[in-house]
Amino acid sequence: MSLLVAVDQVDKVFSLSDGDEYIALKGIDLTIKKGEFVSFIGHSGCGKSTLLNMIAGLSLPSSGVLTLEGKKITEPGPDRMVVFQNYSLLPWRSVRENIALAVNSVYGDKPKGERLAIVEEHINLVGLQQAADKWPDQLSGGMKQRVAIARALAIRPKLLLLDEPFGALDALTRGNLQTQLMRICDENNVTVVMVTHDVDEAVLLSDRIVMLTNGPGAEIGNILEVDIPRPRQRMEVVEHPSYYSLRSEIIYFLNQQKRIKKLRARKTTAVARHGLEKVNLDIGFVPLTACAPVAIAKEKGFFAKHGLEEVNLTRETSWRGIVDGIAGGYLDAAQMPSGMPLWFSLGGHKNTPLPVVSALTMTRNGNAITLSRRFYDQGVHSLNAFRDMLHRTPDTQHRMGMVHPSSMHNLLLRYWLAAGGIDPDRDLALQTIPPAQMVVDLKNNAIDGFCVGEPWNLRAAMDEVGFTIATDREIYDGHPGKVLGVREDWAAAYPNTHIALTKALLDACRYCADPENELEIRQILSQRAYLGTPIDYIHLGDPNTKVCELQKPMREYAHHLFFGDGANRPSRTEHLWHMTQLARWGDVPFPRNWLEILERIVRVDVYSTAARELGLLDAKFTRGSIHLFDGTDFDAQDPIGYLNSLAIKRDITIAEVVFDGRMAALAA
Amino acid sequence: MVTHPQVRKQARPNPALAPIQQFWQKRSPDLIPPIIGIAVFLTVWQLVSSSGITRLPGPLSLWTDTRTRELLLYPFYDLGGLNKGLFWQTWASLGRVAQGYTAAAVVGIAVGVLVGTNPWLNKATYPIFQFLRMVAPLAWVPIALVALQQNQPAAIFVIFITAVWPILINTIEGVRQIPEDYDNVAKVLQLSRKDYYLNILFPSALPYIFTGLRIAIGLAWLAIIAAEIVMSGIVGIGFFIWDAYQQNYISEIILAVFYIGFVGLLLDRAIAFLQTKIAPARK
Repeated sequence: MSLLVAVDQVDKVFSLSDGDEYIALKGIDLTIKKGEFVSFIGHSGCGKSTLLNMIAGLSLPSSGVLTLEGKKITEPGPDRMVVFQNYSLLPWRSVRENIALAVNSVYGDKPKGERLAIVEEHINLVGLQQAADKWPDQLSGGMKQRVAIARALAIRPKLLLLDEPFGALDALTRGNLQTQLMRICDENNVTVVMVTHDVDEAVLLSDRIVMLTNGPGAEIGNILEVDIPRPRQRMEVVEHPSYYSLRSEIIYFLNQQKRIKKLRARKTTAVARHGLEKVNLDIGFVPLTACAPVAIAKEKGFFAKHGLEEVNLTRETSWRGIVDGIAGGYLDAAQMPSGMPLWFSLGGHKNTPLPVVSALTMTRNGNAITLSRRFYDQGVHSLNAFRDMLHRTPDTQHRMGMVHPSSMHNLLLRYWLAAGGIDPDRDLALQTIPPAQMVVDLKNNAIDGFCVGEPWNLRAAMDEVGFTIATDREIYDGHPGKVLGVREDWAAAYPNTHIALTKALLDACRYCADPENELEIRQILSQRAYLGTPIDYIHLGDPNTKVCELQKPMREYAHHLFFGDGANRPSRTEHLWHMTQLARWGDVPFPRNWLEILERIVRVDVYSTAARELGLLDAKFTRGSIHLFDGTDFDAQDPIGYLNSLAIKRDITIAEVVFDGRMAALAA
Repeated sequence: MVTHPQVRKQARPNPALAPIQQFWQKRSPDLIPPIIGIAVFLTVWQLVSSSGITRLPGPLSLWTDTRTRELLLYPFYDLGGLNKGLFWQTWASLGRVAQGYTAAAVVGIAVGVLVGTNPWLNKATYPIFQFLRMVAPLAWVPIALVALQQNQPAAIFVIFITAVWPILINTIEGVRQIPEDYDNVAKVLQLSRKDYYLNILFPSALPYIFTGLRIAIGLAWLAIIAAEIVMSGIVGIGFFIWDAYQQNYISEIILAVFYIGFVGLLLDRAIAFLQTKIAPARK
């Protein structure tokens, strides 16, 4: 397929009546191939129609170039026919005359009979024979839109531009027209650009979906490829495995844009009090049993006790929400998977290193690997049996779920699989799925297993859709689970707040570890604001049971460790282990300057100050080397040698990771 | 309930009157209120004038006054000079209106399209048009007489200058208000200038133009009466009134006023009818 339209670094600036300027679009880069169906989606006012109008030539870019087949677009023309949102039929001309106007204007040199034939052909194409002599005001909205599409197609444009074509129609008419449009496009191999705000419509019709961020200065946030084969049928599309992930991807994007807009409007300024630089904090968490310290610090007043009087907890359903919140600067701090600070710092997010530091490990353990119940029934009770089963069925695509590339679940699962001789990327496909969706996907057989934090392993076992094949204690006992993460520039701007926050959470961790508080904590966690799950599924766990009991109905309680000897101090050795594992699976390069990076990321100084002020004396300096279930010990002596010694791994790159010297000033 | 044994006789329908009856049945709700209104108005007027509060004769004087009755009964007499029946008087006035108004329509629409399609020109001419529009028709009369020296062309000029502004300004507005969508269609299809005027500009601006034409016809009719009163010695309904006043034939004035009002109403309806034929309202 050859290139049809190229949009190169296009900006669009409108001058306002009061002399100001409004930057509608900024730095838009896009190419559209011949025969492709591309949709623009975004909130109203994001400039998607402006972009369409620029391709049409109805408005010109303020800077940058748009080309059609290599020629610069300077004016509108019939080779880029537009179907306008409000149909734009001429009310003083009948259906036939409206189409004829276009045909006569474009094919003026053809004989009259031929032109008439073209008009009739396209009236038939959209099934409007009965209405050909009616006036537009006698037609329904759907019929008007069909006339507009017929008028557009009649002149055989190289590119068909649709501006929210079905926005004003009822659902039934919309569905019919979408089907007709799809058929016409498939049969005539038309290249289409469509502006829409309808997520399902975008997925159903498009080859690619261009998602635009909110204005001012809207940009292309992301482009999704729709890999659903054509010709498509509405019902089949809905059944396609990609459908829901595409749909949720777009909805996530749109919701995120909405939140950013709201946050921009709110414009919080730091409230300084009690010698702290900022006491109004937005802290993100994901509803898991491991969020207990965050929830308790809020509910039991530990934040307030340490001076943080205006803490607002933001419940994110997936780790991605945390990532966007931290990267976008609208979360002050967040509960993070233990690998996430490094993942951020080494450029895991959009390939741009963003230094994120950690001063506290909030939980350890509390994770497990669950496989579908049917494997248990087939006698797959161990890692080796699982490997044999996978190797017996190479033609079946097995999928397992994890929550984020940087999370301990992903690293544990991969480590466990690789230790058993399973390549997690070749023998399996790992998918990123929000924690709360795991059990549902397992039930629907969309995945064969997962590694996730509690309560979801227990829940899968209790609902008899899965069984716990290995707990984290069997793989890497005492591994860090969730940590406190803040941006390095934030920590630099609010050093005392950082310490107070660490203190409050450490205090909460201590509270969580007291068995007397267990029932209360479980009750708090089961509330809608947190997990919103019946209390029976939520267990903080008995830290003494170690091995999951396969015979006894596979219900292994979690083994959360919230507090204890050296449990909360951020450990450089552990972060180094994460660094090696992230590099092992190709998520980020292994930094040549790993020592320097560890020094910056692992903020033992903040932790120590907090612990000392709480009167906790952290006796042990080091947790020593890490023991893993396959018998290897990881020590911090030679990480590169360790990486090279691994059998199953991706191509490892080693690079110098340089942080951007300037720190984005968060405090205005 | 006791059923009445006597069946009421149905009035036998007269076949010749049937269509009128049907018409009346259908339209009576629309027709009865204005008929009652007019009747009350005339009665009050008659009562007031017979009570002696005012010297103004009542509507009945149209019939009781001999001169007026003759004028009413014989509108078509022509004794030469200024002594003509009311039809001819009105006809002469209408003739002037037709000439002045046609000129105003041609000039108003042509200049309006030109100015409306050219934003710069619109800005340049806007204050001038608004200024001239405010000048009362009667104020143009001495100017016209000085400039043209003769009664007839001066009268036509006054009609023209009165009628041209609403047509011009409405046409400008109509052209400026062409929905952007229609313009976009024209741009995308790269319509020729001729196609654009015929298929987009005129059809779209027509409702505005007709609004201007309707306002203008009313103003033109107002202006001719005023102009004729000032320009003595010509045949026309305006001068007829002035002449009657000079000779103290008050009921003749009232008759003429009825003519004027009625013709004005007819002119407005005529333009409205033309509009429904040429530019039917379509959304």
